[in-house]
Amino acid sequence: MATSQEILEALADYQRQCNENKRLRKMQRDWSKLIHFVAEDTGDKFTMNVVKGEIVSFEVGTNGTPDIIVTSTSENFCDMFWGDLNPSQKYLQGEIRVKASQEDVVRLDAITMIIWPEV
Amino acid sequence: MTELKKVIKLRTVISTSTGMAIATSCYLAGIQVATIIVGELAWISILVAGFLCLLSAMCFSELTSLYPSAAGIKLYIQNAFNENISIIIGMFYVILGISMVGAESYLLASVLSGTFQIFNPFYDKFLWILFFIFFVGVINLRGVYITGIIQDIMTYSMVAFMIGVSIYTFATHDVNISLAAQSAKFTLENIIQAAGVGVFLFVGYEWVTPLAEETTDYRLIGKGMLWAIGLLSVTYALFIVAMFVGLTPAQLASGTPIPHIVFGTNLFGVAGTISFIVMSILASVTSFNSGLLNTSRFSYAMGRDNVLPRFFSKLHPAYATPWVSILFLGVLAIAISLATLYTGKYLFIILMAAALECFIYVVAAVCVIKLRKKYPEKKRSFKIPLGYTIPIIVIVVFTGLMIAIFTDVSRDYLGRELFKNYWVAVVMGGCFLCMILYTLIVVPIFKKKAEEKAKTRVKRRPGKG
Repeated sequence: MATSQEILEALADYQRQCNENKRLRKMQRDWSKLIHFVAEDTGDKFTMNVVKGEIVSFEVGTNGTPDIIVTSTSENFCDMFWGDLNPSQKYLQGEIRVKASQEDVVRLDAITMIIWPEV
Repeated sequence: MTELKKVIKLRTVISTSTGMAIATSCYLAGIQVATIIVGELAWISILVAGFLCLLSAMCFSELTSLYPSAAGIKLYIQNAFNENISIIIGMFYVILGISMVGAESYLLASVLSGTFQIFNPFYDKFLWILFFIFFVGVINLRGVYITGIIQDIMTYSMVAFMIGVSIYTFATHDVNISLAAQSAKFTLENIIQAAGVGVFLFVGYEWVTPLAEETTDYRLIGKGMLWAIGLLSVTYALFIVAMFVGLTPAQLASGTPIPHIVFGTNLFGVAGTISFIVMSILASVTSFNSGLLNTSRFSYAMGRDNVLPRFFSKLHPAYATPWVSILFLGVLAIAISLATLYTGKYLFIILMAAALECFIYVVAAVCVIKLRKKYPEKKRSFKIPLGYTIPIIVIVVFTGLMIAIFTDVSRDYLGRELFKNYWVAVVMGGCFLCMILYTLIVVPIFKKKAEEKAKTRVKRRPGKG
């Protein structure tokens, strides 16, 4: 199990990687979403705010009404934010569950695919 | 649990499920149902097909309540059997699903070329096919999604229009049911065979399951499918009978691929022609657009999962849509459409689609049984009542219907043989065999390559490298 602190560190790196990637920022330029991440094994929850493709903030707890809710284990989240895990594979295995439109599911996966195309 | 900002309501689940099933090819399939049995009594086979689809919808409802995900079909087959079988069936479903576009685009092209003549009927159809598929491809590529409210307006308008036209026809034409019941064609065997073809009228209703991730309550998907099948059953039962009595024997005998346009013209002249053309375009574009959207996202996911070549997961740099998957499926759709144009065997694809649906319903019912045995404690927000009775009925009945389709001979209104249906089984069997070979030979190569690549990659997470 990953601790809340570990996930926050992973999120910080994820935010930096996303925001510094020009290709991703261009692709997601019209994508503004409030995303909730729920780690079902530890009960930890996080909120990420994406405005026009830029991750402007992330914080512990669930704030606001989300556009997307992602549920998985703390380990999966940690690996996903560090770019060590292919979210699509986990999604197809049912280990990552997403409540969102199909477009948002693809866009969320696109982040990992653009930053770490080899994963 | 926190809810989403935008959620889909029951009304939209019903309209999406219904809208995916209503297509231009349904009018022709309806006439085929009416040809097998007596036209005035086609409603019996349609209601039988609807009732059977209702039972299969219960299986999909239980599976969706277990795996409320856009990846549902792969997930439940994978959990009930194994990954290889889920890949084989998933890809078989997608490839044959996109082949329905062949019949659909050919028929829509027939509708348009019959009205707007540019060169000659053949080249006009050719151009309309290209235009139609290109148009839907561009919509998909641009990531234009039909919103819930637009889907509601389009679907409920189409249903209201079809019911309204049917009522008008019954008020102005004679429908002699007692005379029809005395026909030699009105037999139990024909009712069943017509019901087998009638399954085609409901093709696609289950493609609403990916919306589970956008609902407030997963049970809405199940409820929506049941309501949609009910709505479709009533609408088709009325409309197909109305269309049959609204066409002259000569028009029925001509084997026209656009009976609804001829019917509309008979009823209301030019206004009828135009109204039915608009309905056709709406029906085709919505069902094809949803079909391409779902299949391209499935191909994208398969590319990401190293089941298909990795380039299938390439995203458009500006619209974040899986452009390679869209392009591949678009080209495949054009190839099938052109093959349909050259051979004129659109009925062949309709039967293939009906048989494919029967097969998928059987798979879903088997999955329900296997998953209940494998995961008896797993929470299900919907569980089919009466134990295994309904899934077993679905397995037996739809296997029977599939066999009935394969063993029949397709004939036109005058009883002339068009082709022997076992060729449908041969083509489907060939396609299924290709999927098996691909999964057993090619997929392991992609998977092994990906694993080797993953081994050489240094983990970024601190302490895991």
